[in-house]
Amino acid sequence: MPGDIVLGYDGSAGSKAALRVAVSVAKAFDAPLAVVFGYEPNPMGGETADYMKQLAKIGSDHLAAAVMDAKALDPSVSVEPIVAPLRPVESLLEASLERHARVIVVGGNGERPIVGAILGSVPHKLLHSSTVPVLVVPAPAD
Amino acid sequence: LTTTTADSGELGSRPTDEPSGGKGLKIGALGMISSLVIGVASTAPAYSLVATLGFVVAIVGLQSASVMLLAFVPMLFIAAAYFYLNRADPDCGTTFTWVTRAMGPNTGWLAGWGILMTDLVVMPNLASIAGVYTFSLFGAHGIAADSSGFWVTFVGVAWIVVMTAICYIGIELSARTQMALLGAEVLILFAFSFVALVKIYAGHVAHSVRPSFEWLNPFKITSVGALSAGMLLAVFIYWGWDTAVTVNEEAKDTRRTPGRAALWSTIVLVLIYVVVTVAAQAFKGPGFLTSNNNIGDVLNALGTAVFGSPWNKLLIICVLTSASSSTQTTILPAARSSLSMAVHKALPRRFADIHPKYLSPGFSTLLFGAIAVVWYVALTLISPNDVLANSIEALGFGIAFYYGLTGFACVVYYRRHIFKSLKNFVFLGLAPLLGGVILAVLFVVAIFYYSDPVNSASGNQAWFPGIHFSFHIFHWHLYVKKGLGPPLVLGIGLLALGVPLMLIWKIRNSEFFKRHREVALSVDAPAPPLTPGVIPVTD
Repeated sequence: MPGDIVLGYDGSAGSKAALRVAVSVAKAFDAPLAVVFGYEPNPMGGETADYMKQLAKIGSDHLAAAVMDAKALDPSVSVEPIVAPLRPVESLLEASLERHARVIVVGGNGERPIVGAILGSVPHKLLHSSTVPVLVVPAPAD
Repeated sequence: LTTTTADSGELGSRPTDEPSGGKGLKIGALGMISSLVIGVASTAPAYSLVATLGFVVAIVGLQSASVMLLAFVPMLFIAAAYFYLNRADPDCGTTFTWVTRAMGPNTGWLAGWGILMTDLVVMPNLASIAGVYTFSLFGAHGIAADSSGFWVTFVGVAWIVVMTAICYIGIELSARTQMALLGAEVLILFAFSFVALVKIYAGHVAHSVRPSFEWLNPFKITSVGALSAGMLLAVFIYWGWDTAVTVNEEAKDTRRTPGRAALWSTIVLVLIYVVVTVAAQAFKGPGFLTSNNNIGDVLNALGTAVFGSPWNKLLIICVLTSASSSTQTTILPAARSSLSMAVHKALPRRFADIHPKYLSPGFSTLLFGAIAVVWYVALTLISPNDVLANSIEALGFGIAFYYGLTGFACVVYYRRHIFKSLKNFVFLGLAPLLGGVILAVLFVVAIFYYSDPVNSASGNQAWFPGIHFSFHIFHWHLYVKKGLGPPLVLGIGLLALGVPLMLIWKIRNSEFFKRHREVALSVDAPAPPLTPGVIPVTD
């Protein structure tokens, strides 16, 4: 069953590079593109409701920009923005299961491996827990 | 920085009209076990015991177990207020938002200030215990013994810096790791008590005291002042427990989970505190816990005798992991409270800044960490050797202040619904009111108790020796006779500092202070937004 292309997007340079690749992959497979922004504050800190609303606002602003950029690259690809109240990796895994994703596309954050290991790198975690192929697009070097 | 009026962007909502039939991405599902873990880990039992036990024993002696038990009563009552107010408005400003609604912006602002100051006051305590236990872990007992010496302070400052960075960047343990750490903490504390009691009853321990049920009888405490001060210290051990009640609102089965997680976390906590207190003071007698060398780190002092080396290291590690989760559950809510205050225009807008990459309340988090470092170092310089005592004794005032206000706010906010049913009367009226009244009484009586510097663990330090007055209420003779003890100056002083700061902000930006009091229209429906639609976002 052909599935969506799922893209993780947070407005960073890496995710913008990933968007360009994701659009061309979606075009090649003639598949819809789901752009996902996921974030969940640490539940150890207590109540989060209005903080979550602000995060959702930030997320939907990022995704609105992503949809515009995708349309500009190729208007024939159908793009759906998804704001998820989950940690980035969980939101991508959930979206990939629900969409029977063909592939998850994410941007590399350009961090050195040791930094990524300490801070928790989304691509790194995805590679180990995803059930579908993961495509990591390097951030442009500048 | 832009201010947008937007109702869009509710998390979990889909911008498209695709018929998702509720099958969208699962919304922050927290099971009963994770709620339980969050509630107990936020309370940080191992750290709380280290921070308070010696000082409680110093005040009430063998009755400390009864005080540990009794202190839960006001916290339980206030939890009802947390539960219902959070239901109306799960704002991360918590008490600040609720008190603002129920009692108006001035009281609300001071409640918010109370949260921030209480979070600040606990930081030196957390930091120096982290420092002391770090050195103990590596066997450097000489360095660890000087809890306000250079090296402990150095590690304490590093601890605050690292913990602030963790909250700023948003690193968190997976739910499973969290659960494993907490499980280890609880197991080790029970193992400690079990081994101690077995050794006592086997008759192998010199200076041990056989436990007695009399220890659970609070009426054995003859002085009202000592009982109040002891309880004010002991409410700290349950501080954070309310998250077990509020965080459940997001749980999968909202009707059943909240009750169960709160119930189980209560049983776990009360059992730990009573059992460990009994075992700790029975093992070598109360005098051992209150001696100058041990009062600030009772578990470390007893650990070697109870477990022997190297098993005592387990106890040290569990105090460190406990202190780490307690530090995070101090920094995160403090930053979220100031974020909420800024969103509602009760603080400068910068406090609401959200870091574009890490998505944490960046400015609030960093500023809180920076002030905590300055405050910790200053306290070490002002009162060397008494950082632990002064901070923990001052802390109770802050907790009693804003938890008490939360109780009163619940009664005021739901006043039209209290007499509609027996359940409403008990949970919206009686329990929060009693909780508030108990905390207010503890607050006031403890003022007079600590007004005699002899009563604070730091001994004869009087910070304002010129102040003295006395008066009678009924047959009680209340007096401030020898100046003010450090816990009073710190506890009340920092709260009082809020009044001039509030007035300054009122002059600079009076918008927040123009709002009116609200009353709950319904018990079940969420309240309308406190400040409609204003969501500041960083560019």
